[in-house]
Formats: sequence, structure tokens, C-alpha cells
Amino acid sequence: MEKMSRVTTALSSNSITGRTMFCHLDAPANAISVCRDATQVVVAGRNIFKIYTLEEEQFVEKLNLRVGRKPSLNFSCADVMWHQMEENLLATAATNGAVVTWNLGKPSRNKQDQLFTEHKRTVNKVCFHPTEVYMLLSGSQDGFMKCFDLRKKESVSTFSGQSESVRDVQFSMKDYFTFAASFENGNVQLWDIRRPDRYERMFTAHTGPVFCCDWHPDDRGWLATGGRDKMVKVWDMTTNRPKEIYCVQTIASVARVKWRPEKKFHLATCSMMVDHNIYVWDVRRPFIPFATFEEHKDVTTGIVWRHQHDPHFLLSGSKDSTLYQHMFKDATRPVDKANPEGLCFGLFGDLAFAAKESLISSDTNRKPYPGGDRRYPIFFFKKPDPTEQFAHVSSALSVFETDLDSNRMDWFVKTAQLYLLSGKPFAELCDHNAKVAQELKRPQVSTTWTMLRIMFSDPANLTAPGLNHNLSKLGPMPLMNSFSIKEIGPGVGTESRLERSKGESRQDNIHLDPGNSHISNNEENEETEGSEGQAEYMFIDAELDDDDLYSMEHDNQAEEQEYTLPQEAFQLRHEIIDNPSAPEHLQQDKADSPHVSGNEAEVTCLTPIESFSLISISQPLYNPHLPASFFCPIVREMLSYYAEQGDVQMAVSVLIVLGERIRKEIDDLTQEHWYMSYIDLLQRFELWNVSNEVIKLSTCSAITCLNQASTTLHINCSNCKRPMSNKGWICDRCHQCASICAVCHHVVKGLFVWCQGCSHGGHLEHIMNWLKSSAHCPAGCGHQCEYT
Amino acid sequence: MFVARSIAADHKDLIHDVSYDFHGRRMATCSSDQSVKVWDKTENGEWHCTASWKTHSGSVWRVTWAHPEFGQVLASCSFDRTAAVWEEIVGESNDKQRGLSHWIKRTTLVDSRTSVTDVKFAPKHMGLMLTTCSADGVVRIYEAPDVMNLSQWSLQHEISCKLSCSCISWNPSSSRAHPPMFAVGSDDNNVSCGGKVQIYEYNENTRKYSKAETLMTVTDAVHDIAFAPNLGRSFHVLAIATKDVRIFKLVPMRKESTSTGPTMFEVQIVAQFDNHNSQVWRVSWNITSTLLASSGDDGCVRLWKANYMDNWKCTGILKGDGSPLTGLSGQPTAMSTMMGSSVQTSQNAINGMSAGSLHAYFLL
Repeated sequence: MEKMSRVTTALSSNSITGRTMFCHLDAPANAISVCRDATQVVVAGRNIFKIYTLEEEQFVEKLNLRVGRKPSLNFSCADVMWHQMEENLLATAATNGAVVTWNLGKPSRNKQDQLFTEHKRTVNKVCFHPTEVYMLLSGSQDGFMKCFDLRKKESVSTFSGQSESVRDVQFSMKDYFTFAASFENGNVQLWDIRRPDRYERMFTAHTGPVFCCDWHPDDRGWLATGGRDKMVKVWDMTTNRPKEIYCVQTIASVARVKWRPEKKFHLATCSMMVDHNIYVWDVRRPFIPFATFEEHKDVTTGIVWRHQHDPHFLLSGSKDSTLYQHMFKDATRPVDKANPEGLCFGLFGDLAFAAKESLISSDTNRKPYPGGDRRYPIFFFKKPDPTEQFAHVSSALSVFETDLDSNRMDWFVKTAQLYLLSGKPFAELCDHNAKVAQELKRPQVSTTWTMLRIMFSDPANLTAPGLNHNLSKLGPMPLMNSFSIKEIGPGVGTESRLERSKGESRQDNIHLDPGNSHISNNEENEETEGSEGQAEYMFIDAELDDDDLYSMEHDNQAEEQEYTLPQEAFQLRHEIIDNPSAPEHLQQDKADSPHVSGNEAEVTCLTPIESFSLISISQPLYNPHLPASFFCPIVREMLSYYAEQGDVQMAVSVLIVLGERIRKEIDDLTQEHWYMSYIDLLQRFELWNVSNEVIKLSTCSAITCLNQASTTLHINCSNCKRPMSNKGWICDRCHQCASICAVCHHVVKGLFVWCQGCSHGGHLEHIMNWLKSSAHCPAGCGHQCEYT
Repeated sequence: MFVARSIAADHKDLIHDVSYDFHGRRMATCSSDQSVKVWDKTENGEWHCTASWKTHSGSVWRVTWAHPEFGQVLASCSFDRTAAVWEEIVGESNDKQRGLSHWIKRTTLVDSRTSVTDVKFAPKHMGLMLTTCSADGVVRIYEAPDVMNLSQWSLQHEISCKLSCSCISWNPSSSRAHPPMFAVGSDDNNVSCGGKVQIYEYNENTRKYSKAETLMTVTDAVHDIAFAPNLGRSFHVLAIATKDVRIFKLVPMRKESTSTGPTMFEVQIVAQFDNHNSQVWRVSWNITSTLLASSGDDGCVRLWKANYMDNWKCTGILKGDGSPLTGLSGQPTAMSTMMGSSVQTSQNAINGMSAGSLHAYFLL
């Protein structure tokens, strides 16, 4: 019922009407004060001292108290207060240290009444006793507070805070004799007006100056303090030790604080610098202002609620020389613009959702009664108090996960891992990929792969789709043989890797660009088979029909594998995938020293550039019924379709598998864009191996250089611990092979792992196993190696 | 079928933003309680708070992750008129209780004179760049010239949008055919102020961002805006959260090589849904840009998906309720409350592809 009665008081006193309005002052204001019946306001500043009447539509200047040709410093005010009992009585704190009272009932133009010049420095604050007519209190920069009896010529008592300057003094609403004073050193003191010798209580309220304090009007013994530490704190002064019960963090130092009438938990603040806004806070929700007034263009210096029982009108003066009346209903409500929800899609199709609890617990709050509850008459339906709703707010956070079975992005990861992009005959790649898609329940993609095989394979291959052995036998065996002796033979062996990879890189450099351009010039040369058996050089290759070229290339690859390492390409692929750390390692190895591990060599063989040199020996065995180029526009459209549908994986995979067959149909920028997008996706899913493979297989120069950057790896000789400077794995100081496995003492070929601390290393597997059981280096050097 | 896992976030006020990192294994939340929390996913899929710290002296509106290439880096923006960049340092902390990770402030960007409403990192291929927008309508683009030094950011561009900005989104396309571009939305309520979504594009010649487009049809306050992941498309798709959900398609028109002006776009509205029946607060795309999620004042998340004809339909509604957090607050984090908030999503959605138009090709 307490609330009800308060509402009625507010209503009864709500005779005040008005609107948000302002008037220009001649000079910046330092402080404002309002008379008891809320009809007039006094504005005081260094160069202004005026009284305005508050009319419904506007401010009207009623009286200029700053009179005389050359106004004395007594007129320049730091603070002003209108007596709340005696409507003709005003007090000002002058910047020269004077405390002046003014009697508006005086007949003369100069209304100055009393002048107390007892303070030695600027007076920061004056305060009338709320009920006692003649009692005035002042607080000054000189560190003293003085109490004046206006019937006497001098102060009746002086209070020495023995701290620093006094910033604010406020009589308590609750105790007749008590006042609070705030100091620049962060302290707040409570005094009994009868005992000027010593403060009753002192506590440190803030770090840094306490600029203001305000007693709660509902005599609850609550004191609000504001300081340079940007905080407003509410203290319960009724307990033995003042207890901090609320703390509001604002964004700038707090210059003024004023409790809002009739609203138990609301207070208004304004700032001393930077921030020009006035905030009204609900102390129960200290993080976000309940309301904001954003009208002022410069620092707000004075705020006062227009009537002590009316919460709707706030008056403010500012350094921007304006005086405002703010209507509460016109205030900005930051919480309205504050987003009550957060939503984010995760990589794996999971969805994080945070929402204000009142929004999502809709069963209790929202759903029920759009048109009022039937069970109760409409007038019983009590609208919830908006301020109560404001204060109690929290968010619920939940993550919506897709079912594990149908985890949304699994298909992408699986597809990326299982697709074969090279290393096998074209038709086989298509079949494999079709199968992968089929297994992942993507029939459309699967069909696309099958169609691609039909479109671009020769009829002979169609008879035995997917059978590795048959296919490879159909390939151009004789020429292949001669070729593999020359080029591939040594490459497969392990002895002369160095020369081999050097050869490779040389070939890359020389032939990459001319080869490509040549090919594009020969788009029409479908049927000119120019294979004169020149094995190494690409210029001849380019004259071949691209489609045949490519399928042959893969045949050759398969052939090669069958010769030496049957099925190895397939297995090694998986090995790579299982060891995510492998590619960087290998790659860096490669860049610095030409020691290329087994599977690295394998993959390198598969780069399109290399394949050119292999292709040259191929000889088409038939003429296709429909030239493959017939399908190119369709395939191009299809790829674009997939890309635009968000399946860039398909676009890139087809692009790589089809290779030269389709490449010239799609402009380089688009290709590059697809590659970049796909690589970015792969990296998101941490599919580094696949990403690296795609980079290698791409033909865009901008893409292939992606894994060429910062690949230098500096290593030490495991024997003499000196940095390896030259190429190769023989240390030029101790002439020992540096790549000896510390566990099995064999030369490591393949994945080599070494400790940066002690320079020892070995086979990845060996070292992993060793370090599972022991914390020390297997070489016995005593170093504590760690495998992460 | 979605399973909701409710997490005891323990923020003291509203959570304003949730953000996944690049790899989807970490999550950051920010709240009006001036703090940011970082959540890590454990092996069994539970989310654990690994860091929680006070970031600002006002409500933290947004939090966002940088590309992991630049380290574990977060940016936050706040009502206190600043944006801040945070970096995770692992292993140096002596505080065992807080775990091994702690976040330190690398920089505070104090140029704004009003609340900073959104902060976003630019796409990785542009380098380490950070964009903020503020309530006074200014978009600021900062760059860290040295990616190893996160405490040095230089203000590169200051673009005045005239309207109070609420959200910003970079076009993620890495294609060289698409110049850097971002869209900025305004939460100005005044319908007569015109289009509330503006699109700015970088001009190589003037080395400045200039306005390329204003979506004049969006006249209500815009709360969120999101470009779809580009994934090799030639056009851009933009989702907008205003009083409804809207999806726009921006198709760059062919540009003569001689013209130096901004790209002209053909702007198509492809979808507009008012199913939320209220203000829409957030939009978010999945990684393949096949699904759009939106959340509104109705407390629901709605999922949108296009069929092959580019017709967008609602494919699911997720209710955020059913998790009585009050009852759970005493327990440790990440209780998995299995709830029956199931969603029908077609198999097509899983495959990210719809059958249909391709048949045309197969019939050849």
C-alpha cells in the first residue's frame, strides 16, 4: 500500500505542467537551485546570477541579481542555494571565499543581505538547513566548514576536517544535527553540528576526490556519494560502520548526484568533464542508465529536481550557457537501444543464443493475455511497474547443437578428407568422389561426379569404371615405360632426392608460365595430337588435346604407383591426414633443405606442372564421339551454380579434377576467388592437409604462393649442435648425417621430428612412443624434451 | 533436430553479444555488467568459462574475434565510448585458479565521443584492421601496421554516416574483383531520415571509402546486419534485422575499366519476413551461408533457408525457453538439459544443397 499512497501524492502534486524546454543564458552556469514551490529557478555562475520563472512553455527572466556597474567578485558564484522554507532567502558561495546571502524581499535593486568573508579560499558549497531557517553551512577549498546563524554577523562554529579541501556539505534529512562533508582525498565525514571539535565518523568512500554527496530524501539514512573514480556509491549510514550497499559505475567523473523524488532507487548524475549527458540510474541495476538526457553541448554543472515530490521534471544548467527543463518522458532510454539478444552461428552448425530471460520465458510473461486475462476483470490486471521490470534483468545463454548424427558440417569435413583430387586416372577420381558423395547422402553431388566422368572420359574407360588395374592397362604403356625410366624412376628411389627435387623446381620455374600461355593459345587444337615422344618439355604437351592430356597424366600416375609402390598413394594420403602437424613440417623441410620425404615426393609428383612433362608421351587411342569441349559451357555453368549455392567445395574439387579441361573456361579471378574461399573454409575446419593439397594443386599463381611464404626452418646438427647452414642433411662441420633417428639410429626419411632444445630428433612415431614413457631425450643428452 | 544446452552464464546483467571464434571452438560473451567471458568447448562438447574479466566502465555491446593468424585476440566496444583490443596470454599467469589463460588489454581506442555500438575486424586478407561505429554516426577504421604489436593502432579512415550507427558488417569476399566493402546500419527511429543501411566501398584511386549504395527501402531502425560468407559467389548477400528480417542481394554491375567511381550494384530484395512479429535483434549466417538465423523480441530463433529457386522459407523455430536457469543457478556450468525443442530441418539443409535445377544439366 505504500506504493499506492506514493502514487497519489505524486499525482496530487502533479499540478506542475510543462514540457522539455530551454533558454539561453548570457554566460556559463555553475549551479542552479529551485525555490520550494517549484515556480522559479536561480542560475549562478562566474558572470551570471539570475532568477527565471518557470512557465508552462518557456523560461522567463524575472530578476537579475548581478547589479552595479562593476559587479564585485561577490557576484561570481561557485554555488547557489535557495532556502526551502523561506522563499525570499538565497545563499551563494563566491569564488573569492565569501559566503553571501540574498534577500529577495529587499526593496532596493541590490538584494545582497549578509556577507561572510571568513573562508580563505573558494567556497565550494553552501547548504541551508532543511528545517531551520537561519542555519547555513559552507564548505571551502581551504578545508574548513563553517556554520552561520543568519542573525549573527559571524560564523557560529568552524569545523576542521583536517583532510583536504571540502567539495560538498549536506545536512541530513534524518538527523536534525547531522551533516555530511566530502573531501578531495576521498573521505566522507559525518559531523554533529553541536560538536565542532571532532567529526562523528569518517570513512574513505572513493579513491580520489569525492565531488558530491546527497542524502536520500526518504530519510532512510542512505547517502549517495560520487567521485572522480567514476563511481556513485550508496552508503547505509545507519549501521555502525557505513556500509556500501550499491555502487554505480559511470563513464566519467561524477560531479553531482541527486536522488530522484518519489523513486526510492533512482538518482541523477552529471559529470565534471568529457561527458555532457545527465544520467538517471536505478541503483539496483548499476550497469546501464535508466534514462539519459543528452541535450547539453558542454559539461553539465548543475542538476536539480524541480519539485521535491515530483519525479518528472529535472532542471539543469550547463557550461554551454543554457538552462534546460527536462521532461522525464522525453528522456532517452539506453536500455531500449541495448540489444537484449545475442546470436551467433558456430562453425559446426551450432547456434549460440543469449536472450533476456523475460523474453524467452514467454509462457509466464508474454503468452497469457493479449486481450487481458479472462479469469479476472480487466481492472484487476495490474500492469507491471516499468521500473521494477527494469531493475531485475538477466540473460540466459544456451547453445543449440545439431544432433550428433546429422551434424551439419560433417559432410563438409568428410568430403574434404575423402575426396581424391589427383593421383589417379580421371575417371577413377570421379567415381571415387561420386562414391564419397553417395555415402554422405548427397545424391546430387554424386550424380554430378558421375556425369563429369561420362562427359570427359573416353568411351574405353567407361567400360571399366572405377577399376584401377584395368584402367591403367588401357593407358599408353610403351611410352610411359620409357618415360618413367627417365624421370620417375629416380624420383621414386630414395637415394637421389636432392637432384630430383632440384630438377622439379627448375622445371617449375622455367615452364610454368610459358606452358600455360601456350595452352590457352591452343584452345582450338582439339584433335591435333602432337606427341612426338618428347618427354620433358611442355611446349609439345600443350599441343595435345587438353582432355586427353589430363586423363593420360593420371593414368601415368597410377602406372607409376603400380610399378613401385602399389596403393601407396592412397594409404599415404590418410597417413598425412592423421598427422595434422605434418604438412608444415614437410613443407618447411622442403624449402630449406632439399630432403624431401617419401610422401612429400609423392604429392609433389601430382602437381599439374609436373604432370605436363608426364603427359607428353600420351597418345589418344580414339576420337571421342562428342568433343569434351562441347560440355565445357555446361560444366562452367554448373560450377558457378555450385559456387553461388554456397558449395565452393564442389566447385574447387571439380576444377582441380577436371584441370585443363575446364580451366580456360573460367576467368582467373573467379578461380582464384573460389580457391581462396575453399582454402579459408578448410582452414576454419583445421583441415590443414587438405588445404595444403588444394594449394598445391591449384594453378593460380596467387594461390600457389600461399604456402611458399615463411617456410624457412632453421635446424641444428644433432651431432655437433651447430646450425646447419648448407643444403642437405650432412653437417659441414662434423660431416655426419644430421637426420639420424635418436631411437633407431637409422637415417630418417619421411616425417622427422626434432627437439629445438637439444637438436636431437628422429622418426615421428619413434619419438612419440619414446616420450610417452620417458621425459628425457632418447639420445641420452639429458635434455627434457616435450612433445606437444 | 536441435538439442539445447543451457549454460549458466552468470553475467550480472543482459548479455548483448555472443561470438564464436574462427574455428568454432571458443565463444565470447559480453554483457552490460561490463565484463567479457570466454568459453572453451571441452572434448565432450561442454562449454567452460576459462576467463572472465571487467573490460569497460559501461555496457559492453559487442565482442568479436580476430582471425587466429593474429593470435587469440578479442575486440570489445562499449557504452563508455571506447573500444578495446584484448590478447590472451597463456601460461604466464601465476594464478592457478583462473587457469593458464589470462587476457590483457593491448589498446583502448578513445576517438569516439559517444557510445561505440559495434566493432568488427576486417577480413583477414586486408591485414589486421579494426572497424568501429558509434552512436554519433561515425565509422572509424583502424589498422595495426605491425601485426605483432597489438598496442599500436592508427586511425586510417573516419567516415561520417550522418545517422546514429548501430551495427557494421564487412563484406567477407576475398576476391580481387570485389574492393573492400562494408555495410553499416542505423538504429535511428525516424522513418523520414531515409535508408538506414549504407554501403561503403574502398576506392583505390582516392584511397578513401565512399558510399556506394543506400538501401532506401529499409527505413526503420536497424539492429543488426550481416553479410553472408561469400564462398566464391560473384554477388553479395546481406541480412538485415530491423522490424523484420530482410535479405538483400547485391549484384555488382559490370564496370567499365575506365570508370573510377564506386561499383554500382543491382539491389534485389530476396526475402522479407515479419514472422517474429516484433523487433528483430540479431541475424547470423552459418558458415556455408545456406542458413540464416534470426532472433527477435518474441524470444525465438528462426532459421531461414532458400530453395533452389532462391525462395527463402522458414525451416525451423527454436524456442529459447525450457531451461529454467533460476533452478540451475546453484549448479556448475554447462548442464545439458535435453529439451524437446526440436526443429524440422530437411535433409537438404544438411547437404547445403537442393535438388532440382541441376537436373537440367543431367538431362542433356
